Amino acid sequence: MMTLAHLIIAVSAFFLWRRNAEWGWITMMLVLVIGLYIFLQDVDFSSNLGVQL
Amino acid sequence: MRLSPDFARVLNFLGLMGMIGVLIGAYYMQFAYRELPCTLCLLQRLAMVAVAYGAAMNVVLGPDPRHYGVCLVSAVFGGAIAIRQSLLHINPYFDKTTSMPTLEATANPGFGSPIFGYHMYIWGVLIFGSVILIVGLVQLFKGQFEKAEPSSNSLRTMAMVGAGLFFAVAAVETVTVFLECGPGDCPNDGGWNWWILRQG
Repeated sequence: MMTLAHLIIAVSAFFLWRRNAEWGWITMMLVLVIGLYIFLQDVDFSSNLGVQL
Repeated sequence: MRLSPDFARVLNFLGLMGMIGVLIGAYYMQFAYRELPCTLCLLQRLAMVAVAYGAAMNVVLGPDPRHYGVCLVSAVFGGAIAIRQSLLHINPYFDKTTSMPTLEATANPGFGSPIFGYHMYIWGVLIFGSVILIVGLVQLFKGQFEKAEPSSNSLRTMAMVGAGLFFAVAAVETVTVFLECGPGDCPNDGGWNWWILRQG
């Protein structure tokens, strides 16, 4: 998933470089949704987040 | 107070170069100290690249509230990750393996080598906070959102160079993330633990 998120940015960056990426903000939102999914997978809500907060 | 579209492009170019500089600095730490980034570290890098993408859109396509929105949302996301990672390490008397308090101050060391006395996730909090503040302030200026092509060839060249450099960094980032994580989860041990080396 991490590789996919970075790949989407790289492809979007290529199209931006070619001046053809007015839709780039949509792909960035998609990337952040993927990032949020990875983040939620990484957090152990049942133990350490509760103790530390 | 007014800000011309051309000057806004220059300001965004400086921001873009700043974010690219931070990413190159992170690469220097990765290879000089042989410390692979963890999942949370990579998510912060992802957010930094997304912030840079918003700035690059402003440079190439012209300033637009949506492009600034990409910067802001990405900075909020990256800041949340950085705060989360800082909280994980802010109490040295917390044992990460047992999730319990301990008398051993070494039970919860910081992740990676510090830079100028601070770990990267602390720098992440400061950088993403600065991005939110600066982008918020820049948007106070009128005039920059008028649709206008760059007034000089040097501005067009600046945009192409900035976008080209950004694409190169994003492409290298994709390759190194694939070599570290492969198609699945990323290692979190902070060592020289590349996915590609684990396949043999």
